[in-house]
Amino acid sequence: MNVENNKAQMRKGILEYCILLVISGNSCYASDIINKLKEAKVIVVEGTLYPLLTRQKNAGLLSYRWEESSQGPPRKYYELTDQGREYLAELDKSWDELVESVKLIRKK
Amino acid sequence: MKITVSINIGGMAFHIDEDAYTELKIYLRNLDRYFAKEPSSAEIMSDIEARIADLLKAKINDSKQVVTLQDVRDVIDILGTPEDISDDSGTGYERLRTVGYHRMYRDPDNRIIAGVCSGMAAYWRIEPWVVRVIFIIISLPGGLGILIYLVLWIVLPEAKTTAQKIEMKGDPVNIHNIKDSVRQEFDNVKEKMNL
Repeated sequence: MNVENNKAQMRKGILEYCILLVISGNSCYASDIINKLKEAKVIVVEGTLYPLLTRQKNAGLLSYRWEESSQGPPRKYYELTDQGREYLAELDKSWDELVESVKLIRKK
Repeated sequence: MKITVSINIGGMAFHIDEDAYTELKIYLRNLDRYFAKEPSSAEIMSDIEARIADLLKAKINDSKQVVTLQDVRDVIDILGTPEDISDDSGTGYERLRTVGYHRMYRDPDNRIIAGVCSGMAAYWRIEPWVVRVIFIIISLPGGLGILIYLVLWIVLPEAKTTAQKIEMKGDPVNIHNIKDSVRQEFDNVKEKMNL
């Protein structure tokens, strides 16, 4: 058993949930998502995000639109689809349950 | 004075030092290979290129117009190598197989005449003197070795850049490479026999 490994596994487990949470706030550009995730120390390298975004988009949880940018080529802005919102609600519930479970066990 | 290259990343044009260009090219090639398993790999790569363009753009201004090797390394640190990404996401990827190109070049660093023998030795990972002795032996009776040497001198390119030198030597031999090449060989045979 290795505590670093265990911590990393926990972080990985909530990564996709965190991405959906960030995007649920308002539609955002990839670097906004990156900044929030980095701030929360959920990802270490940025490259991690891109395959996950594409997968969530392919699964119908996200959609994006192109928006003109004053500083170069147009940028992709991501937002949740209706399906994505339902999915996120499920994950929210599951997260609350997990927190409750841990709280309950910690008390004893 | 240094040579710079003009590149287009994510729809933006950059002037970039030649060594930085080589580094970036190898990095993108490794990423491309890593994401090849994903169904939308082209889309992932274009998103990443757009991000690289953003990061590089922040590094240049009127007084510093050329992207340097250090800039590229900084960008790679931020985005992460395929190894970093697979550690970070842990979404069940196999560890990356960095099976690079393996090509025969002339090796200018260990040459005696034109680097043909040392290049072949680097390719097969044997000592250069073994190849040289073989050439001398087949040259003794009728000079056939000399003819072969001349032809190879013309045909084989010289390994000039770092990337070419890496390609010349191929990947360091480790257990993963051996396992991969055995598996690949097995798949090839299976395909041929239509199993």
